[in-house]
Amino acid sequence: MGFSSFIVLLFLGGEIALFLIRKFSVPIDCFTFLVLLFNFAAVGVFAVFLSKMAIIVTQGYLVAIGMLVAYWFTLLPEWTTWVLLVALALYDLAAVLLPVGPLRLLVELAISRDEDIPALVYEARPVINHDQGSGEYEGQRRAWRRRRELGNDSESDHNIGTSDAEVTAPLIQNRVSSVVDGQESSVASTDNSFLEGIGLGSSGAIKLGLGDFIFYSVLVGRAAMYDFMTVYACYLAIIAGLGVTLMLLALYQQALPALPVSIAFGVLFYFLTRLLLEEFVVQCSLNLVMF
Amino acid sequence: MKKKVDFSHLSSSPSPESAIITVAAGIGYALLALGPSLALFVTVISKKPFLILTVLSSTLLWLVSLIVLSGFWRPFLPLNSAASWPFAVLIITSVAFQEGLRLLFWKVYKRLEDMLDAFADRVLKPRLYPTDKMLIALAGGLGHGAAHAVFFCLSVLTPAFGPATFFTDQCPKLPFFLVSSIIALAFATIHTFSMVIAFNGYSDGNKVDQLFVPVVHLVAGMVNYFCLSS
Repeated sequence: MGFSSFIVLLFLGGEIALFLIRKFSVPIDCFTFLVLLFNFAAVGVFAVFLSKMAIIVTQGYLVAIGMLVAYWFTLLPEWTTWVLLVALALYDLAAVLLPVGPLRLLVELAISRDEDIPALVYEARPVINHDQGSGEYEGQRRAWRRRRELGNDSESDHNIGTSDAEVTAPLIQNRVSSVVDGQESSVASTDNSFLEGIGLGSSGAIKLGLGDFIFYSVLVGRAAMYDFMTVYACYLAIIAGLGVTLMLLALYQQALPALPVSIAFGVLFYFLTRLLLEEFVVQCSLNLVMF
Repeated sequence: MKKKVDFSHLSSSPSPESAIITVAAGIGYALLALGPSLALFVTVISKKPFLILTVLSSTLLWLVSLIVLSGFWRPFLPLNSAASWPFAVLIITSVAFQEGLRLLFWKVYKRLEDMLDAFADRVLKPRLYPTDKMLIALAGGLGHGAAHAVFFCLSVLTPAFGPATFFTDQCPKLPFFLVSSIIALAFATIHTFSMVIAFNGYSDGNKVDQLFVPVVHLVAGMVNYFCLSS
C-alpha cells in the first residue's frame, strides 16, 4: 500500500507537474525536479502511514493522492466514465450490504480480530471555536466537549488524538467509546445519537475512505469537462448524498457504503442539469431575465 | 465536449482597454456578485456548523426548484427572443413556484425548531432565542441568494476571463458581465433578507410581512422583464 501511494505520487504527480511546467514555462532543470519530486513522494508516503505527522499534512497528501488518481480517471471516454461510476456504486452497495459481500466479510473479520481495517482513510477532525454561542448551539458544543473530556487524554483543543471514541463513516464500523464512564454513558449516548442524527458526530473524527473521495472527484471532474453549471450542481448533489449517508449511518449504526447515494444523486443531477437546466438558465441569463 | 454559449444576439466588440480585461476582470465580476454573501458567510455563518448545513441544504433546495421549473419549461425552449411576452409568463410561474417553496421551507423549519427545542429541554439548556431563529432564516436566505448568483451569473462568466468583452444593446458602454453581476448582487440581497422577513412574518402572523416578500420578488423579476422588452 505504501508502494502504491509512492507510485501514484511519483509518476502520476510527476506527469501533471511536467504538464504544468511545460504550460507555464517554469525554469527548472531535470535534476532539481527529480529531487523535489522524489522528496514530495517520500514525505507523502510517510504522511499517509505514520500518524505522528501534523494532521494538515496528512490531509493534504490524501487530497493530493485523490486528485491525481481522479485526474487520470477523467481521461477515460465520457460514456465509459458514467457507466463505470454507476457500476461501482452498485458494486459498493452489494459488497457492503449483502451477507456474502467481500467488503462486509472484511469488516467483520477486522472486528473479530479487533484490528483496524487496512485502507487509506481521510480523517476529518472537528475544529472547536471559542466564541460564545447561545441557545442550542451551546448545548451541542457542550455535549461535544463533555464527550471529549470523558477519559480522552487529548491535549490541545484542536487535535483530538486517535482513540476508540471516534464516529466513523462508511466502510468503517461505528464503534462506541470504550473509555466512557458507566454512569455518564446513558446521557452521552442520547446526545451521541441525536448529534449524529443531525450529522455532527459527537467527538473525534469522521473517517471517509479515499476510494470514495476519488470517485466523487471523478464525477465532478467529468461534470467540469462539460460546463460550470454541472460542476455546481454535482458538487451540491454529492454533499447532499454525503449528508444522507451520515444520517443513515447514525440510524443503522453499522458499516455503510458511501458511494451509492452520492453517486446516484450526482449522476441524476448531472443529467438533469445538462438536459433541462442549462437551456433554461442560459436563455434567462443571456437575456438578463432573472428571478 | 464543451458547451458553447451563444452570445450572438449581443453586440460584441473588442474593448479599448483589452490588455487589462483579463483574469482581474473575471474575478472582479465574480466578487461583485458574491462579495457581500461571502462576507456574511465568513463572519456570521462559518462560526456555527449548523448554519453551514442550513446554507448547503437551502442551496440544494433552490437548485431542485430550478430543475423542476426548467423541466416544466423545457418543451417551450428555446424561446424566440423577438417575442418577449413568453418571458413574462416564465417569470410569473417561476416566482410563484419559488414562493410556494418558501412556504414549504417554513413548514420544514417549524418541525426542525420543535426538534431542537425538545433537545434543548432534554439537556436542560435554554431554548432557541429569536436571534437564533433569525440566524437560521438568514442562512437559508443566503443559500438561496448564493445559488442564484452562482447559477445565473457565475456560470456564464467564463468568457469574461478572456481579452475582450461583450456590451449590452441598450447601454452600449456597459459590459454585459457587469450588468449581470450587479443584477445577481441585487437578487442575492433580496433572497437573503426576504427569507428573514418571511420567517418573521409567518411566525408572528403578520400579513403585511407575509405579502411583502412575494410582491418584492415579483416586482424585481418583472422589472427585469420590462428592461428586456423596452
